[in-house]
Amino acid sequence: MEDQIVRLTSRLVVPFIQLYGIYVIVHGHLSPGGGFSGGAIFGASLVLIAVSFNLEAGAKQVSPQSASILESGGALGFALTGLAAVVMGGSYLANRAAGFPIGVTGDLFSSGAIFIITLFLGAKVASTIVTLFYNIIEGEKKDGTPEKHSG
Amino acid sequence: MSYLGIIFLIILTLILRLMFGVETRALLTLYILGLIIFIFAFAVAEMPPFGSVTNPVFNEMSARFLEMGAVETGAVNIVSSVILDYRAYDTLGEATVLFAAIAAVIATLKSH
Repeated sequence: MEDQIVRLTSRLVVPFIQLYGIYVIVHGHLSPGGGFSGGAIFGASLVLIAVSFNLEAGAKQVSPQSASILESGGALGFALTGLAAVVMGGSYLANRAAGFPIGVTGDLFSSGAIFIITLFLGAKVASTIVTLFYNIIEGEKKDGTPEKHSG
Repeated sequence: MSYLGIIFLIILTLILRLMFGVETRALLTLYILGLIIFIFAFAVAEMPPFGSVTNPVFNEMSARFLEMGAVETGAVNIVSSVILDYRAYDTLGEATVLFAAIAAVIATLKSH
């Protein structure tokens, strides 16, 4: 369905939504938000592209394959950060006790493992939303039912 | 007091069975649901009042998180310091739940 208003508006708004999502993820240890909410915002912007244009335009941004790789990689990175703490001489998922650089409290690059885990969680949640969306839409298309999501 | 309740249940059973013809299976369902509702209502009645100072949630844990959270974890956001440092296991479980959910969706939708 061709809708010039929806397409133009989403094209204008999507970069700002993505920037805001990245901001919420990166500032997870400083301000309200974090990996879950920032990832949801970022994933919603990718869903908005697919909804307002079409599935191919959305897949051009993040392909379903790379989304599922990012999805598994986020969970794996979280677990490996915990294992890295064991290698560095702490308990599993330890932060300061394992020797992660804490930095100056209040700086952007501070709080050691929390910052790293927030990045992984954000990537994971964003790609989870995208993967969920694509799988449900593709399942609908295969059954032969008409697409009602565009526009 | 307790045998009054038993007598009430027996009379209720007789009325439902003889006058309305309710089956034994439906009666059993009714009584089990009633028992569950009774347990839940009892648990809610026993809960401490909301926001009271003497509640068990106001223990040394929350004071420790508020006073030492920023020092011990380096995160100004106390929620982040709790979910990603003090209780990172819990968040790992949450991420695993997300992973299991998406795996289930893919397994269900890709199969047909």
